[in-house]
Amino acid sequence: MATTKSVRLARWLAWVVLVVVVLGPLFWIVASSFKNPSEIIRHVPTILPNEFYLGNYEYLFSSTRFPTYLVNSVAVAVLTMVATVVAATLAGYAMYRLRVRGSRSVGHAVLLSYMIPGTLLLVPVYVMLASVGLVDTIAGLVVVNVAFASPFCVWLLRGFFDAIPVELDEAAAVDGAGPLATLWKVNLPLLAPGLATIGLYAFIFSWTEFVLASQLIVSDDLKTLPIGLSAIMGQYNIQWGWLMAATSVTMLPVALLFAAVGRYFVGGLTTGAVKGA
Amino acid sequence: MNGPPAVSTSVPDRIGPLRRMWTRSYPALVGYALLAPLVAWIFLILFYPVGNTVLLSFTDTRIVGAPHRDVGLANYQAVLQSGAFWDATLKSIVWLAGNVLLQTAMAFAAALLLGQSWRLARQARIWVLLPWVIPTVAVAVIWQWMLNANYGVVGYILQALHVIAEPLNVFGSREGALPGTIVANAWHWFPLSAVVLFGAMQTIPRELYEAARVDGASSWGQFRFITFPMLRKVMFALGLVGGLWTFNVLDVIYLITRGGPAGATTTLPVVIYDTAFKSFRIGQAAAMSVVAIVLLAVAAALYVRFMSPRED
Repeated sequence: MATTKSVRLARWLAWVVLVVVVLGPLFWIVASSFKNPSEIIRHVPTILPNEFYLGNYEYLFSSTRFPTYLVNSVAVAVLTMVATVVAATLAGYAMYRLRVRGSRSVGHAVLLSYMIPGTLLLVPVYVMLASVGLVDTIAGLVVVNVAFASPFCVWLLRGFFDAIPVELDEAAAVDGAGPLATLWKVNLPLLAPGLATIGLYAFIFSWTEFVLASQLIVSDDLKTLPIGLSAIMGQYNIQWGWLMAATSVTMLPVALLFAAVGRYFVGGLTTGAVKGA
Repeated sequence: MNGPPAVSTSVPDRIGPLRRMWTRSYPALVGYALLAPLVAWIFLILFYPVGNTVLLSFTDTRIVGAPHRDVGLANYQAVLQSGAFWDATLKSIVWLAGNVLLQTAMAFAAALLLGQSWRLARQARIWVLLPWVIPTVAVAVIWQWMLNANYGVVGYILQALHVIAEPLNVFGSREGALPGTIVANAWHWFPLSAVVLFGAMQTIPRELYEAARVDGASSWGQFRFITFPMLRKVMFALGLVGGLWTFNVLDVIYLITRGGPAGATTTLPVVIYDTAFKSFRIGQAAAMSVVAIVLLAVAAALYVRFMSPRED
């Protein structure tokens, strides 16, 4: 049938477009990062580097502040991840398992809070952190990141908690386990994919965050990657080669994490979509 | 406090009323203790500052911590009369409309592909999120590089195909900058909607499509009369949350153009940021924030009022 053939062709074309649109730009950055300074600005671009040039990466790690920014970003992201997972899991357990009175109101507040724009809150948050001496500290940035990341995490956890049969909790209660023991021994082991999902989200949130960090961090020694990279970009004469290398290194950790636990994350998002609707 | 009346049962009362109350309310107490850190955290860092913004908007605070005095409604007067504020509002509306249209189209197309059952589709469900996962600063670098006036690959390809005669200057031109940043932001955010839509599509009963096919419905007909209507609720929710998030985007714009050239990409968040941290008029920036929140709330209320999917 002629129609089936053209439909099949259209489907193939659609896949080619999706692959090029989604993965093409990522490939292009990584490929460019291995080109030498003259090749990278050649008028007729090469798809793959002519020679596998590592100079951009060498320069990045030996002669710029990039390693400092990298360490700071890792510290902020890991601390944000741990604190968010703990706060969100405890709250999620209270809301979706113990179902304490007021859980629904907290749920509404959570939904409301992830619509609050970071930019609009920048000034008052700055004032508050300044009053307790947390401006220009890693701890201050972590505290703020957790507040912005955790509402979405609580929402994501709901689907994972709902997937654990309530009978398990009831059986534990019959055996004399209190709520904390039930959380620790019964729920947590089954919640591993959920914890991976929200941990990943919190890490990504912190790794990406630019607006808050741009004002809450002042010292060059404490700057995170997005701030450091944006300073490089703002320079008059952009060194494209090591900007590409820096961008590739910046993308690498989240891409690796995502490769490891991304499928739980997608599962969490899709069940959440069904629940939220 | 009075305990519950000591109910005498046949079982000898070994636990006193206080003790019994304790065992009964213990799980709830634990629950509140577990809930407390998150609630306190969100309240302190998110909700309390919203209130604080309102207070700041009535003062002439210029930089954080400096002495200031109350100026009543002067900031609001200045904001509402400033051309820059309304210009930025207009830019924000264009930004929002462009992003919603582009992202919805991209997300729907991608979600339909993700729903296929072969291997590439199953793998794509994971890698399609990569543009959303990578840091915004990387998104900014990617699009500045690909759309660069001198070395950009997109301009090169379009020139080689004779689509354009002159080299592209997207982010350097007044006409190109806003559409360019919209493309960059849509590329960053559409995967999230795509995966959520895909998840919702999975819940549509297969039988509906089978029945439609038996009745001779085309692929487009199935999409138009089954997929699309069944997704109204999810799209309504996505539209609300996504719309608010999109409106509030600062990072993509600021990292690529810093609001330029000549204000071409100065949306509301950009003008608020610049007023607070470049011009050091924090009081006025707070007033802008309050006006922006009011505008958003009105828009959201209208959206809910007129776009809510009817139950049928």
